[in-house]
Amino acid sequence: MSFLARTFKPAAAFARVSRQAATRLYASEASAASSGKLVLNFALPHQIVLSSKEVNQVDLSAVSGDLGILADHVPTIEQLKPGVIDIIADSGAEKYFVSGGFAIMNPNSVLNINAIEAFKLEDIDAQAVASQLAESQRLAASAKDELTKEAAAIEIELYEAIQTALSTKAH
Amino acid sequence: MFARSAIATRSAAPALNVIGQTRNMATLKEIQNRLKSITNISKITASMKMIASTKVTRAQRAMKVARIYGNVSCDFIEQAEVKKADGAKELVVVVSSDKGLCSGIHSSLSRHTRKYLADYPEAPVAIIGDKAKSQIQRVFAQNMTYSFNQIGSTIPAFDETSAIASVIISDKSIEFDNIKLVYNKFASAIAFETSEIECFPASQIVEAPGFKSYEVQEEILENLNEFLFANNLHWALVEGHAAEMAAKRTAMENATKNAGDIIQRLTLQYNRGRQTVITNELIEIITGASAL
Repeated sequence: MSFLARTFKPAAAFARVSRQAATRLYASEASAASSGKLVLNFALPHQIVLSSKEVNQVDLSAVSGDLGILADHVPTIEQLKPGVIDIIADSGAEKYFVSGGFAIMNPNSVLNINAIEAFKLEDIDAQAVASQLAESQRLAASAKDELTKEAAAIEIELYEAIQTALSTKAH
Repeated sequence: MFARSAIATRSAAPALNVIGQTRNMATLKEIQNRLKSITNISKITASMKMIASTKVTRAQRAMKVARIYGNVSCDFIEQAEVKKADGAKELVVVVSSDKGLCSGIHSSLSRHTRKYLADYPEAPVAIIGDKAKSQIQRVFAQNMTYSFNQIGSTIPAFDETSAIASVIISDKSIEFDNIKLVYNKFASAIAFETSEIECFPASQIVEAPGFKSYEVQEEILENLNEFLFANNLHWALVEGHAAEMAAKRTAMENATKNAGDIIQRLTLQYNRGRQTVITNELIEIITGASAL
């Protein structure tokens, strides 16, 4: 599936394993409470998934951990790892699997998500994922150089995350 | 046959003139050859215009998406009010392409870049696209760091963008703080403007007045900055591509129109010449007949 192939390059660009001690910069002041909903902008380079949509809650899977964003959440910047974004609006809930990107929550209750690829869970073919995962595992085992090994490791992480997402949805 | 022998005998005779038009020894055969070649050229430019128009509609649709994507990405920079540091060293990235015949697209980019380099002669330059590269290399070869080609024939995809962004960022030997993207903004189907997108370093983001209200883990800041740069680059590439396709379309349209004008003018000239030849032959025949 070509969409999976396309997530690697951006993922590879971020693949810097940081060995620094984790430091967290906390917000110095709470943002002024403004009544109203959470406004979501969800953009991909080739498609705008959602633009200025009012939602109730967005669940993200970030590198620092999973979190749920509600209206007037503290402004935060999160790097997304391959996983599911759950968007809960009055009209219902939608789940998208994203390959990676960033989610930025702004003080004006606007949540901006830039991702590279996103697909609804029902659009993903489980068989293809399984076969691609096997392929990547084989590649990771047999790879000679560091770069191929690292690329294969990223692929494995991605496919396993998709499988987890698909299996949790089935329950 | 008749026409050719008539011309041979008539070369010494003064050409019959229509007021304001001299043929300057252009024979009917030469005009015919010119007509044929210009007709072929106009067919080529007409088909290039058609191809460019289909590409424009697709490129414009991609551009709308890329613009929103870029704006969503830059929203944070604006809200946090990230500013440029005084004396920041800039890396100029010129977003052009490899293909020509698009009127002023590439020369406008090189003019803009050269004007900047005249003020900051030390600034490193990375060029995407061979056309701008050849123009800038003539004067500022020592500033050039990287050049990329094979861009611009199709709508840029994000993997191309991230490949370019990775190369630029991972070369630690180039010293720069900010990155200035020089690209052509799509103003309308017949107009473009050369503009800039400014990309800031992580250090400036941290200094921004609005930044303290954001909760963020320090180690993702560098990743965020690279991501923002790739997003801006993608926006510049896609919009530049749309501007180029539109310019190519108008250029080919003008070329076809001009070729049509020339064809009309030459056809008139050819017909007048042909009629002159026939008239002269008739005169000769008649005077010859009446002499008998």
